[in-house]
Amino acid sequence: MSSKIDPITRSVVQHRLSSIVKEMGEAMLRTTYSQILNSSRDFSLAICDTRARLIAQADHLPVHVGALPWATLVVEDRFKDVAPGDVFLLNDPYHGGSHLPDLTVFVPVFDGQKRLLWTIVRAHFSDIGGATHGAYNPGATEIWQEGLRVPPIRLSEAGRPREDLLDLLALNVRNPREFRGDLAAMLGAANLGERRVAKLFSEFGASVVEAAIEAILDATEQQTRAVVSTWKDGVFLGEAFLDDDGHGRSDIRIAAKVTKKGSDIEVDLSDSDPQSTSFVNSSHANMQAAVAMAFAYLIDAEIPKNTGALRPLKVIAKQGTIVWADPGRPVTLCTSHPSNEIVEAIVKALSASCPDRAMAGWSRRFRIAIQGEDPRTGKNFIWHLFQARPGGGASSGGDGYSSIGEWHSVGGLKFGSLEVAEVRFPLHFRRHEFRENSGGDGKFRGGLGVALDLVLETAKPARGNTAGDGVRYGPCGMLGGKDGVPHDYRLISEGRPPRPLRTKEVGIEIRPGDCLEIRSSGGGGYGPPAERTAEARARDCEQGLVTGDAPAGQGT
Amino acid sequence: MYTIGIDVGGTYTDLVAIDEHGTTVFAKSPSTPADQSVGVMAGLEELARRLKLTREKMLGVTDRIVHGTTVATNALLERKGAKVALLTTEGHRDVIEMREGLKDNRYDLRSPPPPPLVPRERRFGVRERLKANGEIAIPLDDRSLDEAIAAIRRSGANSVAVCFLHSYLNPVHELAAVERLARELPDISISRSSDVLPQIKEYERVSTTIVNAYVRPLVRHYLGNLEQRLTEAGFKGSLFIILSHGGMAPVEEASRLAAGTVLSGPAGGISGARRCADLLGVPDLVPFDMGGTSTDISLISEGRASLSADGTLAGQRIALRSLDIASIAAGGGSIATVDAGGTLRVGPESAGSVPGPACYGNGGSAATVTDANVVLGYLDAGAFMGGARPLDAAAAEAAVDGVAAALDLERIEAAAGIFRMINLKMADGIRLMTLRRGVDPRKFALLSFGGAAGLHAAEVARELELKRIIVPVAASVLSAWGMLTSDLRYEVSRTHYGAAARISNDEARNLFKDLEQQATGRLRAWFGGPMTTERSAEMRYGEQIFEIDVALDGLDWNAASPVDAIEDRFHRRHEELYTYASRDQEVVFVNARVAAIGEVSQRGQDARPTPSAGACAPRGTRQAWFGAWSEVPVYALDDLRPGHALAGPVIIEAETTTVVVDAGDRVTVNALGWLDIALR
Repeated sequence: MSSKIDPITRSVVQHRLSSIVKEMGEAMLRTTYSQILNSSRDFSLAICDTRARLIAQADHLPVHVGALPWATLVVEDRFKDVAPGDVFLLNDPYHGGSHLPDLTVFVPVFDGQKRLLWTIVRAHFSDIGGATHGAYNPGATEIWQEGLRVPPIRLSEAGRPREDLLDLLALNVRNPREFRGDLAAMLGAANLGERRVAKLFSEFGASVVEAAIEAILDATEQQTRAVVSTWKDGVFLGEAFLDDDGHGRSDIRIAAKVTKKGSDIEVDLSDSDPQSTSFVNSSHANMQAAVAMAFAYLIDAEIPKNTGALRPLKVIAKQGTIVWADPGRPVTLCTSHPSNEIVEAIVKALSASCPDRAMAGWSRRFRIAIQGEDPRTGKNFIWHLFQARPGGGASSGGDGYSSIGEWHSVGGLKFGSLEVAEVRFPLHFRRHEFRENSGGDGKFRGGLGVALDLVLETAKPARGNTAGDGVRYGPCGMLGGKDGVPHDYRLISEGRPPRPLRTKEVGIEIRPGDCLEIRSSGGGGYGPPAERTAEARARDCEQGLVTGDAPAGQGT
Repeated sequence: MYTIGIDVGGTYTDLVAIDEHGTTVFAKSPSTPADQSVGVMAGLEELARRLKLTREKMLGVTDRIVHGTTVATNALLERKGAKVALLTTEGHRDVIEMREGLKDNRYDLRSPPPPPLVPRERRFGVRERLKANGEIAIPLDDRSLDEAIAAIRRSGANSVAVCFLHSYLNPVHELAAVERLARELPDISISRSSDVLPQIKEYERVSTTIVNAYVRPLVRHYLGNLEQRLTEAGFKGSLFIILSHGGMAPVEEASRLAAGTVLSGPAGGISGARRCADLLGVPDLVPFDMGGTSTDISLISEGRASLSADGTLAGQRIALRSLDIASIAAGGGSIATVDAGGTLRVGPESAGSVPGPACYGNGGSAATVTDANVVLGYLDAGAFMGGARPLDAAAAEAAVDGVAAALDLERIEAAAGIFRMINLKMADGIRLMTLRRGVDPRKFALLSFGGAAGLHAAEVARELELKRIIVPVAASVLSAWGMLTSDLRYEVSRTHYGAAARISNDEARNLFKDLEQQATGRLRAWFGGPMTTERSAEMRYGEQIFEIDVALDGLDWNAASPVDAIEDRFHRRHEELYTYASRDQEVVFVNARVAAIGEVSQRGQDARPTPSAGACAPRGTRQAWFGAWSEVPVYALDDLRPGHALAGPVIIEAETTTVVVDAGDRVTVNALGWLDIALR
């Protein structure tokens, strides 16, 4: 392959590829059917090559993107007879996937008879069968209880969809129409990308595009190494803990040993605790994605997130640990937990190497879904908590964002209007404001979580399920900063004592008039509290972000 | 009698006068950002000079002035608006700062959050609450209101936004609070959410109301000032302001709904583009307005500009319906850099007008798009702005050499690269906009206007596979020219509490009838001429959260079930936009909208230039780069007459714009004297 390509052509091809992925994202946003996709934007797009290298991606969910090359690898290994018009699909975490609700579609792009690239769409589906609605099943002890497993399959053959396979898939989920609608949107976006990439080949010639891609990856690598080489060399340790696995084990440790030498980084997670019987295990691809995510946060935001940027990074882990479970183990929670803890352990370790870049802890996910009957219509409803977004971590750039999200979503999940929610659901949002004193103290303060008082206005009791982590461990403080205050959700029911909610529960009874007092965590603080300026402290008080005598977030 | 259009831009204030014979006269005058009315009055002086009249005489025979202002836009961009306080429902004072949980730039975790327009210490909760059906859950508590008003007084705010939950259904608490506020703080400017945007979704409503409160004192002051200056200068006609939705309104209305003026400037450009579509009989145009720091892109599809309520400006959500305009950070001043990986990037940073491109000779040293255009021979350094402001070609070359060295390329290759990258960026913007609107860009013609557009139009069009480019004679003052044909427009909307049950036929009929009475009643107070109305609805499928706009023109409201017909239109529109409809899904009717439109009398057709029998001779030739150096004839736009035809490569120059035409492209001059370019 030609090693010399003129820099203008390379810049043009790079720009084109990234605008193609952006366009795929726009098409996806406009055509998806379910709320989780068109509102919460839980999907990602990428272009990979036949060597499973990530060439271009759009800024959607960081935790998806680093996983896609691993999925591509499995498709490449399984199918040796890929033809134009074929479409492939997978979700299984033991066949390149991350967790079952994330379906991934692959469309090959050819130049004549030569296959060169893949356009890829991954999206989170609101249901994938299994024992509980919505895939998050804290009770699961094996993956078969979590939903339908799809190894790499050929969904379309030479331009013709295999309707029999589609029927099989749709029959195994609870909302087949929505499922088909979202899958059609994914295919539409991937096919749009295929057409645009094919046009790029015809305009420049495939060999020029290929040479440009090599040059793009090399340039990105060079850019990344230039950043990393400014960090301090050494072997650095970091750790983070899951509260529990919901099956009786607590303080599950994720350990990162990070070796930084020159412009190379080796992340070794081998010392992490053994795997669990519950859905807090990580799949292999998800673990790789979490490590890539941590690294992406530490380098420059402007560096393209492609395989070139990840070349300085080497990942070591041990199968059978919490970060890389044995086949058959449940893993559904892994895109949030232990992803967030893997990121936190690595960032903590590297804070000694690049202190100006390491940010304090962003929050953990603590979800709740309520199922009941709306007395105004007599219809059943299912409501998912996206409100009460937790706080973001502080950094050398300043205080953290309040009401913004977790390590794995970082301000990419939108919560809808409370007015609309009150119209659509028998719920009353009595209070939804910043949770005072929740941000970790420090030279720069962590962002605040949210205090939500939510009153159930049904006529009959409803049931709630939870999934998440972080009621014991708050988002970590960094370089002397304090931890953010952890999540604290309580059920207030007349005639009963207040009941703290655990993060992995099913079938919580919520009675009419009950109030859920939801207090989401604040982000971690950065730098010693003693270095926080008097003006900043006065401002915190004036704004009512910190009240009383105690400084914010003394942490655990 | 004259009608005068005045568009205040960042650098120049453009003016156009038209008389009853359709004769138009243009003038340009430097803008005066500190007080825009100074530049406007100077521009009127210049316009009068070109008409060979005194300003007083000209204004004395002018019956209408239509004005696009950037006062609100600049206040938001430069954060120089009022000191605003927010009065809101207790327990919900952080809506504005939560930003729905979103932030920009996914991988940037080290930039601190942008400060909200109203800081937390000036956001005050009041004890009151409405239910989702508009009933009172907690009555407005007088004591808590008194405390909040006392706190607002102490805060020193000079403008207040009032926004309570569910007030779009029942404004009773907002009205009571406003009454008390007006009594206690008679000098404070008040913006009430149920007046500004009576629609469901609290983030949109509170943000829009706050923006209104933020810009309103400035807009009111400026417009009052201008009105007074005009009166003193002898103007006895009506002054109208262009609003973001492209219609115009009297000063009083623009001062009330000041947030509706944030796109006042570019809105004139869309009016101009619509008028072009009309005059040309070309219904599908991409207006492409490229200036020094940014490029505004929109779409005229089937002769109409579309409105959207998705707007944000300077990071602030403004949910009033406005023309769908995408502003891309790409212009003549966009700076070219080479990153650590050796990749060429152009923009989003801009040299602006100060210091400006290196070739301006104002101390700028960064290589910009304009510098590349000088190196490529597209811009004649000596003839820039009609020779009034010559460019420093050596400075342009030195700046581009910096980029060339970093890329290890020849100067001319680097300049061509910069030219190409900026064109790609603008083509991307157009492609995304057509995708969002569900239309194929290839059937559109590019309408090139704004100072820098003619240099790039051909390559941008080629990138998108467009076949045709139109350059109107008024290209450099299209906004001001477009304002001459704007109509009066007053819009009202109301949310139907319909999410839990389907709207009934009678509810729909009554809802639209009420709104229509409200809208036409208000318009009638300003205007005695002919009036039409437009009805539309915002609807969605049950589980979706984005509504789409459904036009209800021509619907038979007396049919047995207009709601069936409305829903049918919704399904069809959804299919157009998103490729599918789900006819078995629940359809939710969210907002009803009515626009009352007052059609002002149009001046005569634009006068047409006389065709010329003979061929047109170039003014000269110069070296320009089209993959290789070639000697290219240079024509003056002023010399071209209807019937003339030119084959590329050619360069066509006017005082404020230059059009570059490549080999194989063909230029004809149409009956209006405009350039009509067919791409190879």
